[in-house]
Amino acid sequence: MSPVLLIAWREYKQYIFSRGFLLFLILMPLGAILIAGALGLAESAKPARHFTIYDATGKYAVPLAEEFERRRKRNIVTSYDSWLSFAADKAAIEEKKIPAPFAPGPPDSVRVEAFLAAGIDGANAAAAPYLRNGAPPFEEPRWPFKLEPPPPDVAAAPGIEEARERLKPYLLDEKLPPGADEPLFAAVLIPRDFGPGEGAPAVEFWSRNVTDAALKETLGVALNSMMRREAAEARGLAPGAFDSIASIETALEDFRPDRAVEDAALDDRDRFEIALPALMTYMLIVVIFGAGQLLLTNTIEERSNKIVEVLLSSVTADQLMMGKLLGIAAVGLTMPTIFTLTGLVAAVGLGGGTETLSALSTLAGSGLIFVYLFYFFCAYVIFAMIFLAIGAMSNSIQDAQSFMGPVMLIVFLPLPFIMLVYQNPNGFIASLLTWIPIYTPYAVMMRAASDPPLLEIAGATALMLAFAIVLTRAMGRIFKETILNPAPVRLSDVWKLLRGASGRSRS
Amino acid sequence: MTATVLKLQDVVKRYGDFSAVDGLSFEVGKGEIFGFLGPNGAGKTTTLRMMLDIIRPTSGRIEILGSASAVKVRRRIGYLPEERGLYRKMRAAETIAYFAQLRGVRREDAKRKSHALLDRFGLGEFARSRNEQLSKGMAQKVQLLATIAHDPEFLILDEPFSGLDPINQHTLEDLIRELRGQGKTIIFSTHVMQHAERLCDRFLILAKGKRRFLGDIAEARAAHPPRLILRTRDPAEWLAKTRGVLSIAAKGDPEDGEQAYELTLAAGADPQAILKAAFESGLRLSRFELAGASLHEIFVTLAGDVGPIASPQTESEAA
Repeated sequence: MSPVLLIAWREYKQYIFSRGFLLFLILMPLGAILIAGALGLAESAKPARHFTIYDATGKYAVPLAEEFERRRKRNIVTSYDSWLSFAADKAAIEEKKIPAPFAPGPPDSVRVEAFLAAGIDGANAAAAPYLRNGAPPFEEPRWPFKLEPPPPDVAAAPGIEEARERLKPYLLDEKLPPGADEPLFAAVLIPRDFGPGEGAPAVEFWSRNVTDAALKETLGVALNSMMRREAAEARGLAPGAFDSIASIETALEDFRPDRAVEDAALDDRDRFEIALPALMTYMLIVVIFGAGQLLLTNTIEERSNKIVEVLLSSVTADQLMMGKLLGIAAVGLTMPTIFTLTGLVAAVGLGGGTETLSALSTLAGSGLIFVYLFYFFCAYVIFAMIFLAIGAMSNSIQDAQSFMGPVMLIVFLPLPFIMLVYQNPNGFIASLLTWIPIYTPYAVMMRAASDPPLLEIAGATALMLAFAIVLTRAMGRIFKETILNPAPVRLSDVWKLLRGASGRSRS
Repeated sequence: MTATVLKLQDVVKRYGDFSAVDGLSFEVGKGEIFGFLGPNGAGKTTTLRMMLDIIRPTSGRIEILGSASAVKVRRRIGYLPEERGLYRKMRAAETIAYFAQLRGVRREDAKRKSHALLDRFGLGEFARSRNEQLSKGMAQKVQLLATIAHDPEFLILDEPFSGLDPINQHTLEDLIRELRGQGKTIIFSTHVMQHAERLCDRFLILAKGKRRFLGDIAEARAAHPPRLILRTRDPAEWLAKTRGVLSIAAKGDPEDGEQAYELTLAAGADPQAILKAAFESGLRLSRFELAGASLHEIFVTLAGDVGPIASPQTESEAA
């Protein structure tokens, strides 16, 4: 094995076969399962939020309770639709084989009432012939809110001011409402003058736990729905018509004008291709940051442990640098590769295999993957050389801090602009970033799928390559000059090193 | 005449205005144990690094194993730097095999050799220990074994005895002799003169980047002014005026009424004539000894802040 590959393999082995990494690989899926389980357990173990309504108008408490009940029923149907999307064969859904009201669709009042009339057992029986093997049956979702009647002393309050005072002991867990086994989580107070007109007072939401917003959000939706329903009926709309109107959903499809009309509609493959540049760019930043830190600590270790001199008597400084770059790049890519493969396996396992494989084969066929790999490699080399040089100049992480600040700023500077380039890949910001050599890889990766002007990309790439060569030589020179120097280098010495270092050491 | 494995010619290394090495020239023959002596900051490590082409000389020429650059022949060289370290998480056998592989030994051979060396030097049971678990002495042995695992013909050892206990120093001396017995050339730097005195065929004394001496111990002693040590209860300072005596100095404090003196003699001075002069003057002597300079004394004299002195080789070169 060549010395470069030997060094690369040692670097790779040092991290990938370390106990910490192997433990992480084992614990990662376990951790994901545990977190998902813990979140599910926390949600299911969380007691229902008990709340009550004090209605000073005397006319909104019942409609509001009815709205809550509609939400609960609707929640059963939407949960059923979600369950069906992964439990049933996709073909059966697309071919609309499952009969109404059990076929997935808008949860209007007619469907919801018909669904609940058949019950959960009826829904499971209707879906059974179309389920994938091993799919679990549908279970009624837990509704996390429970409306309680106001405690008698609160109900008897002559006005909202008195009601507030009387509710406080219940909200502060000092008293339980009669017959209740749980304290009140919240109370909704509807003022006397509340109504549809402008200038009407706000409904008051009293709760000691302001961070748990689920009840408040549901309440807001229910109140809006209640008021719109009242307004619709006041304008003469039949009571059931409002639900039908509210459940109308319009389909909006994407098309690309650069294709023949029959192929112009965007499919999953196109969406994958559009999303990929952003994914690759973020992955690049993650790899650069992760691998950069490894290069830095690793070089500092070799320098401070005095290993580097033995290495340099066995290999050249260039071979040492190249070995490190390759080894740490492989380390940096291992984690995202594992995540990607796990994601693909999960996608295939969850039934998205055909779409995933089709998207991947399209990507490989389009040549875009090679564009991404080329710019990924260029960006890695540019930043890795900077980290190597910093490591060679520092005896400790503290020494490296003075160099790291500006470098990290440069690494992360394009982050705020990535979305702008993503949304407008041929706009001014995209073009500007493309012509800044250190950001050319980011910008071109983001633009690659959007047919950017070829001349602009070629020119910017040539500039980036020239910059990469100059930077690599300069950083390599710093590495060779300083790696054996026992004293750490100050920021102010870097320019001197770049100017006066040539010809002193071997390459 | 033995073949030359290392030749330095007018080698200079400057850092700005500072000359770390200044016009250094010498040769090392095949199979020699060559001592590279000098105080701290003399330029020893810089010279060794230049020999290995880790750093480039500002001017001058270096030829090693017939090559103008050590890079081309590095697999034939073993180097143990003064400041040495190991990968903390690497195992002892793995470390030795890794460095052997870097110097061109095949993987399987490197592994076999590393275990054999560890067994031979009493570290067999620590072959699978991580370097961070080894004692300092063990770690130094591992470093040394990593230097010789690829069976180099030329060994460059920078302060190899530094940090070793007396037993391990003895083991290392034996190893160096054994390697020389196998025909290998060894150059080592040190500022502990006893090792050099026991091991070196020839040595070079370097101070402030300049050569102060090059030759063997006999030549060094011959070039060093002879001394007389005498002990008497009488005043002896007047001996300074005796023919052949350059200077006289009291040595230490008087003991039992007697004072020791050290007389520095001129080259070719006759000690018997001085002894005769002492008796004739009634000097009561309890000790009269002609002392050859130890390498330590030669070193202190040559590497101290004195001007460059002529050495046999310098003189012959000049001739």
